[in-house]
Amino acid sequence: MTAFAVQTGLFFRRKLLETLRQPVWIITGLTTPVLYLALFAPLLRSLAGGPAFPPGPVLDVFLPGIMVLIAFGAGMGAGWPVIWELDSGVIERLRVTPASRLALLLGTVLRDIVMFAVPGVVVIAAGAAFGYQVHWGGILLLFVLLALLTAACSATSSALGLKLRQIGSLAAVVTGAQLPLTLLAGILLPLSLGPAWLRVLGHVNPMYYAVQAARSLAAGSVGTGTVGLGFLVTGVIAVLAVCWGTRAYQRAMA
Amino acid sequence: MSAPPLPDVQVTGLRKSFRVAGAAVEAVSGLDLTVQAGEVFGLLGPNGAGKTTTLRILTTLLPADSGTAQVAGADVLRAPAAVRRRIGYVGQLGGADKEATGRENLMLAGRLYGLSAAGARRRCAELASVFDLDAIADRSVRTYSGGQRRRLEVALGIMHRPQVLFLDEPTTGLDPQNRANLWTQLRMLRDGGTTIFLTTHYLDEADQLCDRVAIIDYGRVIAIGSPEELKQRYSADTITVTAEAAPDVLDAVAAELAAVPAISRAVVESGAGLGLTIRLTVTDATRAMAAVFGALAALGIPTRDASVARPTLDDVFLGETGRSLRDAGSPDGADADVEEVAA
Repeated sequence: MTAFAVQTGLFFRRKLLETLRQPVWIITGLTTPVLYLALFAPLLRSLAGGPAFPPGPVLDVFLPGIMVLIAFGAGMGAGWPVIWELDSGVIERLRVTPASRLALLLGTVLRDIVMFAVPGVVVIAAGAAFGYQVHWGGILLLFVLLALLTAACSATSSALGLKLRQIGSLAAVVTGAQLPLTLLAGILLPLSLGPAWLRVLGHVNPMYYAVQAARSLAAGSVGTGTVGLGFLVTGVIAVLAVCWGTRAYQRAMA
Repeated sequence: MSAPPLPDVQVTGLRKSFRVAGAAVEAVSGLDLTVQAGEVFGLLGPNGAGKTTTLRILTTLLPADSGTAQVAGADVLRAPAAVRRRIGYVGQLGGADKEATGRENLMLAGRLYGLSAAGARRRCAELASVFDLDAIADRSVRTYSGGQRRRLEVALGIMHRPQVLFLDEPTTGLDPQNRANLWTQLRMLRDGGTTIFLTTHYLDEADQLCDRVAIIDYGRVIAIGSPEELKQRYSADTITVTAEAAPDVLDAVAAELAAVPAISRAVVESGAGLGLTIRLTVTDATRAMAAVFGALAALGIPTRDASVARPTLDDVFLGETGRSLRDAGSPDGADADVEEVAA
Protein backbone atom coordinates (compact mmCIF):
# COMPACT_ATOMS: atom_id res chain seq x y z
CA MET A 1 0.00 0.00 0.00
CA THR A 2 2.75 2.45 0.91
CA ALA A 3 4.71 1.46 -2.22
CA PHE A 4 1.55 2.13 -4.19
CA ALA A 5 1.13 5.57 -2.59
CA VAL A 6 4.79 6.43 -3.28
CA GLN A 7 4.46 5.35 -6.90
CA THR A 8 1.25 7.34 -7.37
CA GLY A 9 3.01 10.37 -5.91
CA LEU A 10 6.00 9.89 -8.23
CA PHE A 11 3.82 9.61 -11.32
CA PHE A 12 1.73 12.60 -10.22
CA ARG A 13 4.88 14.68 -9.82
CA ARG A 14 6.15 13.54 -13.21
CA LYS A 15 2.90 14.56 -14.92
CA LEU A 16 2.71 17.85 -13.06
CA LEU A 17 6.26 18.71 -14.21
CA GLU A 18 5.22 17.81 -17.76
CA THR A 19 2.45 20.42 -17.55
CA LEU A 20 4.56 23.07 -15.83
CA ARG A 21 7.13 22.80 -18.62
CA GLN A 22 4.42 23.97 -21.05
CA PRO A 23 3.32 27.39 -19.78
CA VAL A 24 1.07 27.92 -22.83
CA TRP A 25 -1.41 25.37 -21.53
CA ILE A 26 -1.50 26.99 -18.13
CA ILE A 27 -2.23 30.41 -19.60
CA THR A 28 -4.99 29.27 -21.95
CA GLY A 29 -6.34 26.99 -19.24
CA LEU A 30 -6.85 30.04 -17.06
CA THR A 31 -7.95 32.59 -19.63
CA THR A 32 -10.49 30.52 -21.59
CA PRO A 33 -12.96 30.09 -18.70
CA VAL A 34 -12.70 33.72 -17.75
CA LEU A 35 -13.39 34.70 -21.37
CA TYR A 36 -16.51 32.51 -21.30
CA LEU A 37 -17.67 34.44 -18.27
CA ALA A 38 -16.93 37.83 -19.81
CA LEU A 39 -18.15 37.18 -23.36
CA PHE A 40 -20.86 34.52 -23.11
CA ALA A 41 -22.59 35.27 -19.83
CA PRO A 42 -23.93 38.65 -21.06
CA LEU A 43 -25.76 36.82 -23.90
CA LEU A 44 -27.61 34.71 -21.37
CA ARG A 45 -28.83 37.64 -19.35
CA SER A 46 -31.49 38.45 -21.93
CA LEU A 47 -32.72 34.82 -21.82
CA ALA A 48 -33.10 34.86 -18.07
CA GLY A 49 -36.64 35.13 -16.87
CA GLY A 50 -37.86 33.99 -20.30
CA PRO A 51 -39.90 30.85 -20.93
CA ALA A 52 -38.30 27.51 -19.91
CA PHE A 53 -35.20 29.14 -18.49
CA PRO A 54 -34.49 27.81 -15.00
CA PRO A 55 -35.41 30.25 -12.30
CA GLY A 56 -32.74 32.01 -10.28
CA PRO A 57 -29.78 34.22 -11.17
CA VAL A 58 -28.16 33.57 -14.56
CA LEU A 59 -24.74 32.77 -13.10
CA ASP A 60 -26.22 29.98 -10.95
CA VAL A 61 -27.09 28.30 -14.25
CA PHE A 62 -24.08 29.32 -16.30
CA LEU A 63 -21.17 29.06 -13.86
CA PRO A 64 -21.61 25.32 -13.16
CA GLY A 65 -21.78 24.77 -16.92
CA ILE A 66 -18.36 26.36 -17.37
CA MET A 67 -17.02 24.34 -14.46
CA VAL A 68 -18.19 21.10 -16.11
CA LEU A 69 -16.59 22.22 -19.36
CA ILE A 70 -13.26 22.83 -17.59
CA ALA A 71 -13.44 19.42 -15.93
CA PHE A 72 -14.20 17.75 -19.27
CA GLY A 73 -11.37 19.58 -21.02
CA ALA A 74 -8.83 18.95 -18.25
CA GLY A 75 -9.57 15.22 -18.30
CA MET A 76 -9.93 14.65 -22.03
CA GLY A 77 -6.43 15.99 -22.73
CA ALA A 78 -4.78 13.01 -21.03
CA GLY A 79 -4.70 10.76 -24.09
CA TRP A 80 -2.37 12.82 -26.28
CA PRO A 81 0.78 12.53 -24.14
CA VAL A 82 -0.04 8.82 -23.72
CA ILE A 83 0.41 8.36 -27.48
CA TRP A 84 3.73 10.27 -27.44
CA GLU A 85 4.85 8.07 -24.58
CA LEU A 86 3.88 4.92 -26.48
CA ASP A 87 5.84 6.11 -29.52
CA SER A 88 8.96 6.96 -27.53
CA GLY A 89 8.94 3.72 -25.52
CA VAL A 90 8.35 5.43 -22.15
CA ILE A 91 5.29 3.33 -21.38
CA GLU A 92 7.04 0.14 -22.42
CA ARG A 93 9.92 0.97 -20.08
CA LEU A 94 7.59 1.80 -17.19
CA ARG A 95 5.67 -1.44 -17.76
CA VAL A 96 8.83 -3.47 -17.20
CA THR A 97 9.28 -1.86 -13.76
CA PRO A 98 7.36 -3.30 -10.80
CA ALA A 99 5.30 -0.09 -10.64
CA SER A 100 1.55 -0.49 -10.25
CA ARG A 101 -0.43 0.16 -13.43
CA LEU A 102 -3.15 1.79 -11.37
CA ALA A 103 -0.57 4.18 -9.91
CA LEU A 104 0.61 4.96 -13.44
CA LEU A 105 -2.96 5.90 -14.43
CA LEU A 106 -3.75 7.76 -11.20
CA GLY A 107 -0.67 9.98 -11.55
CA THR A 108 -2.26 11.44 -14.67
CA VAL A 109 -5.75 11.51 -13.16
CA LEU A 110 -4.55 13.49 -10.12
CA ARG A 111 -2.63 15.94 -12.31
CA ASP A 112 -5.79 16.49 -14.38
CA ILE A 113 -7.82 17.09 -11.23
CA VAL A 114 -5.35 19.86 -10.32
CA MET A 115 -5.66 21.18 -13.86
CA PHE A 116 -9.41 21.39 -13.30
CA ALA A 117 -9.33 22.73 -9.75
CA VAL A 118 -6.95 25.66 -10.31
CA PRO A 119 -8.89 27.31 -13.16
CA GLY A 120 -12.07 26.27 -11.31
CA VAL A 121 -11.13 28.43 -8.34
CA VAL A 122 -10.32 31.30 -10.70
CA VAL A 123 -13.73 30.99 -12.34
CA ILE A 124 -15.57 30.98 -9.04
CA ALA A 125 -13.59 34.02 -7.91
CA ALA A 126 -14.26 35.81 -11.20
CA GLY A 127 -17.93 34.79 -11.01
CA ALA A 128 -18.16 36.28 -7.54
CA ALA A 129 -16.78 39.52 -8.99
CA PHE A 130 -19.50 39.39 -11.68
CA GLY A 131 -22.15 39.04 -8.99
CA TYR A 132 -22.39 35.30 -8.32
CA GLN A 133 -23.30 34.59 -4.77
CA VAL A 134 -20.97 31.87 -3.41
CA HIS A 135 -22.58 29.08 -1.38
CA TRP A 136 -19.55 27.54 0.35
CA GLY A 137 -20.90 24.10 1.18
CA GLY A 138 -22.34 23.67 -2.28
CA ILE A 139 -19.14 24.87 -3.98
CA LEU A 140 -17.01 22.46 -1.98
CA LEU A 141 -19.19 19.52 -3.02
CA LEU A 142 -19.22 20.87 -6.57
CA PHE A 143 -15.43 20.56 -6.68
CA VAL A 144 -15.62 16.99 -5.37
CA LEU A 145 -18.25 16.04 -7.93
CA LEU A 146 -16.34 17.57 -10.83
CA ALA A 147 -13.06 16.04 -9.63
CA LEU A 148 -14.83 12.69 -10.14
CA LEU A 149 -15.93 13.81 -13.61
CA THR A 150 -12.35 14.88 -14.43
CA ALA A 151 -11.11 11.48 -13.25
CA ALA A 152 -13.66 9.70 -15.47
CA CYS A 153 -12.67 11.79 -18.51
CA SER A 154 -8.93 11.49 -17.82
CA ALA A 155 -8.99 7.70 -17.40
CA THR A 156 -11.19 7.35 -20.50
CA SER A 157 -8.86 9.52 -22.55
CA SER A 158 -5.78 7.57 -21.40
CA ALA A 159 -7.48 4.28 -22.22
CA LEU A 160 -8.50 5.59 -25.65
CA GLY A 161 -4.94 6.78 -26.31
CA LEU A 162 -3.55 3.35 -25.36
CA LYS A 163 -6.11 1.55 -27.54
CA LEU A 164 -6.12 3.80 -30.59
CA ARG A 165 -2.39 4.67 -30.57
CA GLN A 166 -2.81 7.29 -33.31
CA ILE A 167 -3.17 11.00 -32.64
CA GLY A 168 -5.60 11.32 -35.56
CA SER A 169 -7.93 8.57 -34.35
CA LEU A 170 -7.92 9.91 -30.80
CA ALA A 171 -8.70 13.43 -32.00
CA ALA A 172 -11.57 12.11 -34.13
CA VAL A 173 -13.09 10.15 -31.26
CA VAL A 174 -12.69 12.90 -28.66
CA THR A 175 -13.98 15.78 -30.79
CA GLY A 176 -16.69 13.52 -32.20
CA ALA A 177 -17.89 12.67 -28.70
CA GLN A 178 -17.44 16.15 -27.28
CA LEU A 179 -20.26 17.88 -29.14
CA PRO A 180 -23.10 15.42 -28.39
CA LEU A 181 -21.86 14.90 -24.82
CA THR A 182 -21.71 18.59 -23.97
CA LEU A 183 -24.82 19.67 -25.92
CA LEU A 184 -26.93 16.83 -24.54
CA ALA A 185 -25.78 17.63 -21.01
CA GLY A 186 -27.11 21.18 -21.32
CA ILE A 187 -23.81 22.65 -20.33
CA LEU A 188 -23.99 26.06 -22.00
CA LEU A 189 -27.72 26.30 -22.56
CA PRO A 190 -30.07 24.35 -20.30
CA LEU A 191 -31.92 21.46 -21.97
CA SER A 192 -35.15 22.82 -20.55
CA LEU A 193 -35.02 25.32 -23.43
CA GLY A 194 -35.25 22.45 -25.93
CA PRO A 195 -38.12 20.20 -27.14
CA ALA A 196 -39.17 17.10 -25.26
CA TRP A 197 -37.19 14.64 -27.43
CA LEU A 198 -33.99 16.53 -26.72
CA ARG A 199 -34.65 16.39 -22.99
CA VAL A 200 -35.31 12.63 -23.20
CA LEU A 201 -32.06 12.14 -25.11
CA GLY A 202 -30.23 14.09 -22.41
CA HIS A 203 -31.15 11.47 -19.84
CA VAL A 204 -29.08 8.89 -21.73
CA ASN A 205 -25.99 11.04 -21.35
CA PRO A 206 -24.14 10.34 -18.10
CA MET A 207 -22.75 13.88 -18.07
CA TYR A 208 -26.29 15.29 -17.91
CA TYR A 209 -26.59 14.14 -14.29
CA ALA A 210 -23.31 15.78 -13.32
CA VAL A 211 -24.46 19.07 -14.89
CA GLN A 212 -27.84 18.94 -13.13
CA ALA A 213 -26.19 18.20 -9.80
CA ALA A 214 -23.60 20.94 -10.38
CA ARG A 215 -26.40 23.51 -10.96
CA SER A 216 -28.14 22.43 -7.80
CA LEU A 217 -24.91 22.68 -5.81
CA ALA A 218 -23.95 26.05 -7.27
CA ALA A 219 -27.34 27.43 -6.23
CA GLY A 220 -26.70 26.18 -2.71
CA SER A 221 -29.20 23.29 -2.60
CA VAL A 222 -27.03 20.48 -1.28
CA GLY A 223 -29.36 17.77 -0.03
CA THR A 224 -31.40 17.20 -3.18
CA GLY A 225 -32.05 13.97 -5.07
CA THR A 226 -30.49 15.60 -8.13
CA VAL A 227 -27.20 15.95 -6.26
CA GLY A 228 -27.34 12.34 -5.03
CA LEU A 229 -28.03 11.03 -8.52
CA GLY A 230 -25.24 13.17 -9.96
CA PHE A 231 -22.71 11.75 -7.48
CA LEU A 232 -23.94 8.19 -8.06
CA VAL A 233 -23.77 8.31 -11.88
CA THR A 234 -20.48 10.22 -12.02
CA GLY A 235 -18.90 8.02 -9.32
CA VAL A 236 -19.84 4.79 -11.10
CA ILE A 237 -18.56 6.11 -14.45
CA ALA A 238 -15.29 7.22 -12.79
CA VAL A 239 -14.70 3.78 -11.24
CA LEU A 240 -15.46 2.02 -14.53
CA ALA A 241 -13.17 4.37 -16.46
CA VAL A 242 -10.29 3.88 -13.98
CA CYS A 243 -10.67 0.09 -14.26
CA TRP A 244 -10.65 0.36 -18.06
CA GLY A 245 -7.59 2.63 -18.04
CA THR A 246 -5.68 0.33 -15.69
CA ARG A 247 -6.44 -2.68 -17.89
CA ALA A 248 -5.30 -0.75 -20.94
CA TYR A 249 -1.96 -0.02 -19.23
CA GLN A 250 -1.61 -3.71 -18.34
CA ARG A 251 -1.97 -4.68 -21.98
CA ALA A 252 -0.40 -1.74 -23.80
CA MET A 253 2.21 -2.66 -26.38
CA ALA A 254 4.35 -0.15 -28.14
CA MET B 1 30.14 -29.89 -3.71
CA SER B 2 27.64 -27.12 -4.26
CA ALA B 3 24.95 -27.44 -6.92
CA PRO B 4 25.69 -25.61 -10.19
CA PRO B 5 24.04 -22.16 -10.25
CA LEU B 6 20.57 -22.00 -11.74
CA PRO B 7 20.43 -20.57 -15.26
CA ASP B 8 19.25 -16.95 -15.41
CA VAL B 9 17.06 -17.54 -18.44
CA GLN B 10 15.47 -20.86 -19.30
CA VAL B 11 13.06 -21.07 -22.18
CA THR B 12 11.28 -24.23 -23.32
CA GLY B 13 8.95 -24.65 -26.26
CA LEU B 14 8.02 -21.00 -26.38
CA ARG B 15 5.36 -20.08 -28.96
CA LYS B 16 3.63 -16.86 -29.85
CA SER B 17 1.54 -16.01 -32.88
CA PHE B 18 -0.18 -12.86 -33.99
CA ARG B 19 -3.14 -12.39 -36.27
CA VAL B 20 -2.18 -10.34 -39.29
CA ALA B 21 -4.93 -9.58 -41.79
CA GLY B 22 -6.98 -12.50 -40.50
CA ALA B 23 -4.18 -15.06 -40.76
CA ALA B 24 -2.13 -16.36 -37.83
CA VAL B 25 1.56 -15.58 -38.16
CA GLU B 26 3.83 -17.45 -35.80
CA ALA B 27 6.52 -15.04 -34.59
CA VAL B 28 8.06 -17.47 -32.10
CA SER B 29 7.64 -21.15 -32.90
CA GLY B 30 9.02 -23.54 -30.35
CA LEU B 31 11.99 -21.63 -28.99
CA ASP B 32 14.35 -23.34 -26.52
CA LEU B 33 17.36 -21.74 -24.89
CA THR B 34 19.27 -21.47 -21.64
CA VAL B 35 21.42 -18.57 -20.48
CA GLN B 36 23.79 -19.06 -17.55
CA ALA B 37 24.37 -16.42 -14.90
CA GLY B 38 27.12 -13.97 -15.83
CA GLU B 39 26.97 -14.49 -19.60
CA VAL B 40 26.60 -11.97 -22.37
CA PHE B 41 24.07 -13.79 -24.51
CA GLY B 42 23.03 -12.64 -27.97
CA LEU B 43 19.97 -13.43 -30.03
CA LEU B 44 21.09 -12.97 -33.63
CA GLY B 45 18.73 -13.05 -36.58
CA PRO B 46 17.29 -11.10 -39.47
CA ASN B 47 14.44 -8.64 -39.01
CA GLY B 48 11.20 -10.48 -38.42
CA ALA B 49 12.96 -13.54 -36.96
CA GLY B 50 11.13 -13.13 -33.66
CA LYS B 51 13.90 -11.50 -31.61
CA THR B 52 11.84 -8.61 -30.27
CA THR B 53 8.82 -10.81 -29.59
CA THR B 54 11.00 -13.22 -27.61
CA LEU B 55 12.48 -10.35 -25.61
CA ARG B 56 9.00 -8.97 -24.89
CA ILE B 57 7.87 -12.34 -23.58
CA LEU B 58 10.95 -12.65 -21.35
CA THR B 59 10.45 -9.15 -19.93
CA THR B 60 6.75 -9.78 -19.06
CA LEU B 61 5.50 -7.34 -21.69
CA LEU B 62 3.75 -10.02 -23.70
CA PRO B 63 2.20 -13.35 -22.68
CA ALA B 64 3.34 -16.40 -24.64
CA ASP B 65 0.76 -18.71 -26.23
CA SER B 66 2.51 -21.79 -24.86
CA GLY B 67 5.80 -22.98 -23.47
CA THR B 68 7.55 -21.78 -20.34
CA ALA B 69 10.09 -19.10 -19.57
CA GLN B 70 11.98 -18.74 -16.28
CA VAL B 71 13.86 -15.50 -15.83
CA ALA B 72 16.07 -14.74 -12.84
CA GLY B 73 14.53 -17.64 -10.98
CA ALA B 74 10.86 -16.78 -11.53
CA ASP B 75 8.23 -17.75 -14.10
CA VAL B 76 7.35 -14.83 -16.38
CA LEU B 77 3.69 -15.81 -16.58
CA ARG B 78 3.06 -16.92 -12.98
CA ALA B 79 5.30 -14.44 -11.13
CA PRO B 80 5.72 -11.39 -13.39
CA ALA B 81 6.16 -9.07 -10.40
CA ALA B 82 9.16 -11.05 -9.14
CA VAL B 83 10.68 -11.09 -12.63
CA ARG B 84 10.19 -7.32 -13.00
CA ARG B 85 12.02 -6.62 -9.76
CA ARG B 86 15.06 -8.62 -10.89
CA ILE B 87 15.46 -7.53 -14.48
CA GLY B 88 16.37 -4.36 -16.31
CA TYR B 89 15.19 -3.55 -19.82
CA VAL B 90 16.49 -1.24 -22.52
CA GLY B 91 13.99 -1.27 -25.38
CA GLN B 92 14.55 -0.47 -29.02
CA LEU B 93 12.72 2.83 -28.63
CA GLY B 94 14.79 3.75 -25.59
CA GLY B 95 12.02 5.02 -23.40
CA ALA B 96 13.68 8.02 -21.80
CA ASP B 97 11.29 10.84 -21.01
CA LYS B 98 12.54 13.45 -23.49
CA GLU B 99 11.16 16.54 -21.80
CA ALA B 100 12.60 15.59 -18.42
CA THR B 101 16.27 15.87 -17.50
CA GLY B 102 18.56 12.87 -17.36
CA ARG B 103 18.65 13.08 -13.58
CA GLU B 104 14.85 13.25 -13.28
CA ASN B 105 14.61 10.14 -15.46
CA LEU B 106 17.15 8.26 -13.35
CA MET B 107 15.61 9.33 -10.04
CA LEU B 108 12.14 8.21 -11.11
CA ALA B 109 13.44 4.83 -12.29
CA GLY B 110 15.32 4.30 -9.02
CA ARG B 111 12.37 5.26 -6.86
CA LEU B 112 9.99 3.02 -8.84
CA TYR B 113 12.26 0.08 -8.03
CA GLY B 114 11.98 0.92 -4.35
CA LEU B 115 15.20 2.85 -3.73
CA SER B 116 14.92 5.60 -1.12
CA ALA B 117 15.36 9.17 -2.35
CA ALA B 118 18.87 9.26 -0.87
CA GLY B 119 19.70 5.82 -2.29
CA ALA B 120 18.47 6.84 -5.74
CA ARG B 121 20.54 10.05 -5.58
CA ARG B 122 23.68 8.08 -4.72
CA ARG B 123 23.10 5.52 -7.47
CA CYS B 124 22.30 8.31 -9.92
CA ALA B 125 25.61 10.05 -9.16
CA GLU B 126 27.46 6.76 -9.50
CA LEU B 127 25.94 5.93 -12.90
CA ALA B 128 26.28 9.48 -14.18
CA SER B 129 30.01 9.15 -13.66
CA VAL B 130 30.28 5.60 -15.09
CA PHE B 131 28.31 6.55 -18.21
CA ASP B 132 29.91 9.96 -18.56
CA LEU B 133 26.65 11.85 -18.05
CA ASP B 134 27.80 14.23 -15.30
CA ALA B 135 27.97 17.30 -17.48
CA ILE B 136 24.54 16.79 -19.07
CA ALA B 137 22.55 15.19 -16.25
CA ASP B 138 20.54 18.35 -15.60
CA ARG B 139 19.73 19.06 -19.22
CA SER B 140 16.51 17.97 -20.89
CA VAL B 141 16.99 14.66 -22.71
CA ARG B 142 15.73 16.34 -25.87
CA THR B 143 19.11 18.07 -26.15
CA TYR B 144 21.16 14.82 -25.94
CA SER B 145 23.04 13.31 -28.87
CA GLY B 146 22.18 9.75 -29.94
CA GLY B 147 25.11 8.30 -28.02
CA GLN B 148 24.34 10.29 -24.88
CA ARG B 149 20.73 9.20 -24.95
CA ARG B 150 21.64 5.54 -25.36
CA ARG B 151 24.03 5.78 -22.38
CA LEU B 152 21.26 7.31 -20.29
CA GLU B 153 18.85 4.58 -21.37
CA VAL B 154 21.27 1.83 -20.37
CA ALA B 155 21.81 3.62 -17.03
CA LEU B 156 17.99 3.72 -16.60
CA GLY B 157 17.91 -0.05 -17.09
CA ILE B 158 20.44 -0.74 -14.32
CA MET B 159 19.52 1.83 -11.63
CA HIS B 160 18.33 -1.03 -9.40
CA ARG B 161 21.30 -3.35 -10.12
CA PRO B 162 19.24 -5.99 -11.90
CA GLN B 163 20.31 -9.61 -12.01
CA VAL B 164 19.59 -9.81 -15.75
CA LEU B 165 19.71 -6.89 -18.18
CA PHE B 166 17.78 -7.20 -21.45
CA LEU B 167 18.66 -4.97 -24.39
CA ASP B 168 16.79 -4.86 -27.71
CA GLU B 169 19.12 -3.91 -30.57
CA PRO B 170 21.21 -1.72 -28.26
CA THR B 171 23.62 -0.27 -30.82
CA THR B 172 21.27 0.30 -33.76
CA GLY B 173 21.79 3.84 -34.98
CA LEU B 174 25.01 4.45 -33.04
CA ASP B 175 28.25 5.52 -34.71
CA PRO B 176 31.26 3.14 -34.45
CA GLN B 177 32.84 4.97 -31.54
CA ASN B 178 29.68 4.99 -29.45
CA ARG B 179 29.11 1.33 -30.30
CA ALA B 180 32.58 0.43 -29.06
CA ASN B 181 32.01 2.44 -25.87
CA LEU B 182 28.73 0.69 -25.21
CA TRP B 183 30.34 -2.71 -25.73
CA THR B 184 33.00 -1.80 -23.18
CA GLN B 185 30.35 -0.73 -20.68
CA LEU B 186 28.33 -3.89 -21.20
CA ARG B 187 31.43 -6.03 -20.65
CA MET B 188 32.09 -4.10 -17.44
CA LEU B 189 28.56 -4.87 -16.29
CA ARG B 190 29.08 -8.54 -17.10
CA ASP B 191 32.34 -8.53 -15.13
CA GLY B 192 30.37 -7.07 -12.22
CA GLY B 193 28.10 -10.13 -12.31
CA THR B 194 25.13 -8.94 -14.38
CA THR B 195 23.78 -11.39 -16.93
CA ILE B 196 23.23 -9.66 -20.26
CA PHE B 197 20.68 -10.79 -22.85
CA LEU B 198 20.58 -8.80 -26.05
CA THR B 199 19.18 -9.01 -29.55
CA THR B 200 21.12 -7.87 -32.57
CA HIS B 201 21.18 -8.19 -36.31
CA TYR B 202 24.83 -7.14 -36.46
CA LEU B 203 27.23 -10.04 -37.07
CA ASP B 204 30.19 -8.28 -35.54
CA GLU B 205 28.25 -7.38 -32.42
CA ALA B 206 27.25 -10.99 -31.82
CA ASP B 207 30.78 -12.11 -32.66
CA GLN B 208 32.78 -9.68 -30.54
CA LEU B 209 30.50 -8.86 -27.62
CA CYS B 210 28.66 -12.08 -26.88
CA ASP B 211 29.95 -15.07 -24.93
CA ARG B 212 27.27 -17.20 -26.53
CA VAL B 213 24.95 -16.63 -29.44
CA ALA B 214 21.67 -18.18 -30.53
CA ILE B 215 21.01 -17.67 -34.20
CA ILE B 216 17.28 -17.60 -34.83
CA ASP B 217 15.19 -17.68 -37.96
CA TYR B 218 11.41 -17.89 -38.28
CA GLY B 219 11.03 -17.96 -34.50
CA ARG B 220 13.25 -20.93 -33.70
CA VAL B 221 16.88 -21.46 -32.76
CA ILE B 222 18.90 -22.81 -35.67
CA ALA B 223 22.30 -22.75 -33.97
CA ILE B 224 23.54 -21.99 -30.47
CA GLY B 225 27.00 -21.79 -28.95
CA SER B 226 29.99 -19.49 -28.54
CA PRO B 227 30.79 -17.52 -31.72
CA GLU B 228 34.06 -19.48 -32.12
CA GLU B 229 32.34 -22.83 -31.73
CA LEU B 230 29.63 -21.93 -34.19
CA LYS B 231 32.02 -20.72 -36.83
CA GLN B 232 34.17 -23.83 -36.53
CA ARG B 233 31.22 -26.18 -36.50
CA TYR B 234 29.54 -24.69 -39.51
CA SER B 235 32.32 -23.50 -41.71
CA ALA B 236 36.07 -23.28 -42.04
CA ASP B 237 38.76 -20.82 -43.06
CA THR B 238 39.35 -20.21 -46.74
CA ILE B 239 42.83 -19.63 -48.20
CA THR B 240 43.20 -18.14 -51.64
CA VAL B 241 46.64 -18.35 -53.25
CA THR B 242 47.66 -16.98 -56.61
CA ALA B 243 50.71 -18.67 -58.07
CA GLU B 244 52.70 -18.53 -61.32
CA ALA B 245 52.70 -21.81 -63.23
CA ALA B 246 51.74 -23.25 -66.58
CA PRO B 247 48.23 -24.77 -66.73
CA ASP B 248 49.66 -28.30 -67.24
CA VAL B 249 50.82 -28.53 -63.61
CA LEU B 250 47.21 -28.10 -62.37
CA ASP B 251 46.66 -31.74 -61.56
CA ALA B 252 50.02 -32.17 -59.86
CA VAL B 253 49.36 -29.18 -57.62
CA ALA B 254 45.88 -30.37 -56.76
CA ALA B 255 47.13 -33.85 -55.87
CA GLU B 256 49.95 -32.47 -53.75
CA LEU B 257 47.64 -30.16 -51.78
CA ALA B 258 44.91 -32.74 -51.25
CA ALA B 259 47.49 -34.82 -49.38
CA VAL B 260 48.02 -32.09 -46.74
CA PRO B 261 46.05 -33.12 -43.60
CA ALA B 262 44.87 -29.59 -42.67
CA ILE B 263 43.24 -29.09 -46.06
CA SER B 264 39.74 -30.46 -46.47
CA ARG B 265 39.09 -29.24 -50.00
CA ALA B 266 41.30 -27.84 -52.73
CA VAL B 267 40.13 -26.18 -55.94
CA VAL B 268 42.79 -25.20 -58.47
CA GLU B 269 41.84 -23.08 -61.46
CA SER B 270 43.98 -21.65 -64.18
CA GLY B 271 43.86 -17.89 -64.32
CA ALA B 272 45.03 -15.41 -66.93
CA GLY B 273 48.40 -16.18 -68.54
CA LEU B 274 50.79 -18.03 -66.27
CA GLY B 275 48.46 -17.76 -63.26
CA LEU B 276 46.87 -20.34 -61.00
CA THR B 277 44.20 -19.55 -58.47
CA ILE B 278 44.09 -22.05 -55.66
CA ARG B 279 41.13 -22.00 -53.29
CA LEU B 280 41.50 -24.11 -50.19
CA THR B 281 39.04 -24.93 -47.45
CA VAL B 282 41.01 -25.60 -44.29
CA THR B 283 40.41 -26.28 -40.61
CA ASP B 284 43.44 -24.38 -39.35
CA ALA B 285 44.61 -21.57 -41.58
CA THR B 286 47.99 -21.04 -39.88
CA ARG B 287 49.13 -24.65 -40.23
CA ALA B 288 47.65 -25.06 -43.70
CA MET B 289 49.33 -21.91 -44.97
CA ALA B 290 52.81 -23.24 -44.13
CA ALA B 291 51.95 -26.57 -45.78
CA VAL B 292 50.68 -24.86 -48.95
CA PHE B 293 53.79 -22.73 -49.31
CA GLY B 294 55.94 -25.83 -48.67
CA ALA B 295 54.10 -27.85 -51.32
CA LEU B 296 54.29 -25.08 -53.92
CA ALA B 297 58.01 -24.54 -53.20
CA ALA B 298 58.64 -28.26 -53.63
CA LEU B 299 57.06 -28.09 -57.12
CA GLY B 300 59.13 -25.01 -57.92
CA ILE B 301 56.08 -22.75 -58.28
CA PRO B 302 56.51 -19.12 -57.10
CA THR B 303 53.52 -17.54 -55.25
CA ARG B 304 52.30 -14.09 -56.10
CA ASP B 305 49.62 -13.44 -53.54
CA ALA B 306 47.91 -15.14 -50.61
CA SER B 307 44.96 -14.27 -48.39
CA VAL B 308 43.01 -15.90 -45.57
CA ALA B 309 39.27 -15.38 -44.98
CA ARG B 310 38.01 -16.24 -41.51
CA PRO B 311 34.49 -17.64 -41.32
CA THR B 312 31.76 -15.32 -40.09
CA LEU B 313 28.47 -15.98 -38.33
CA ASP B 314 26.89 -15.20 -41.69
CA ASP B 315 28.46 -18.42 -43.00
CA VAL B 316 26.69 -20.24 -40.18
CA PHE B 317 23.37 -18.66 -41.11
CA LEU B 318 24.02 -19.39 -44.77
CA GLY B 319 24.93 -22.99 -43.97
CA GLU B 320 21.71 -23.55 -42.04
CA THR B 321 19.17 -21.61 -44.10
CA GLY B 322 20.73 -21.24 -47.54
CA ARG B 323 20.22 -17.49 -47.24
CA SER B 324 22.60 -14.75 -46.19
CA LEU B 325 21.71 -12.92 -43.00
CA ARG B 326 22.10 -9.63 -44.79
CA ASP B 327 19.42 -10.50 -47.33
CA ALA B 328 17.11 -12.51 -45.09
CA GLY B 329 14.05 -11.19 -43.34
CA SER B 330 11.77 -8.38 -44.20
CA PRO B 331 12.70 -4.71 -44.25
CA ASP B 332 13.44 -2.86 -41.02
CA GLY B 333 10.72 -2.81 -38.46
CA ALA B 334 8.70 -5.74 -39.78
CA ASP B 335 9.00 -7.39 -36.39
CA ALA B 336 7.36 -4.44 -34.75
CA ASP B 337 4.73 -4.19 -37.47
CA VAL B 338 3.47 -7.69 -36.80
CA GLU B 339 2.77 -6.76 -33.20
CA GLU B 340 1.35 -3.42 -34.12
CA VAL B 341 -1.42 -5.13 -36.07
CA ALA B 342 -1.95 -7.82 -33.48
CA ALA B 343 -2.52 -5.58 -30.48
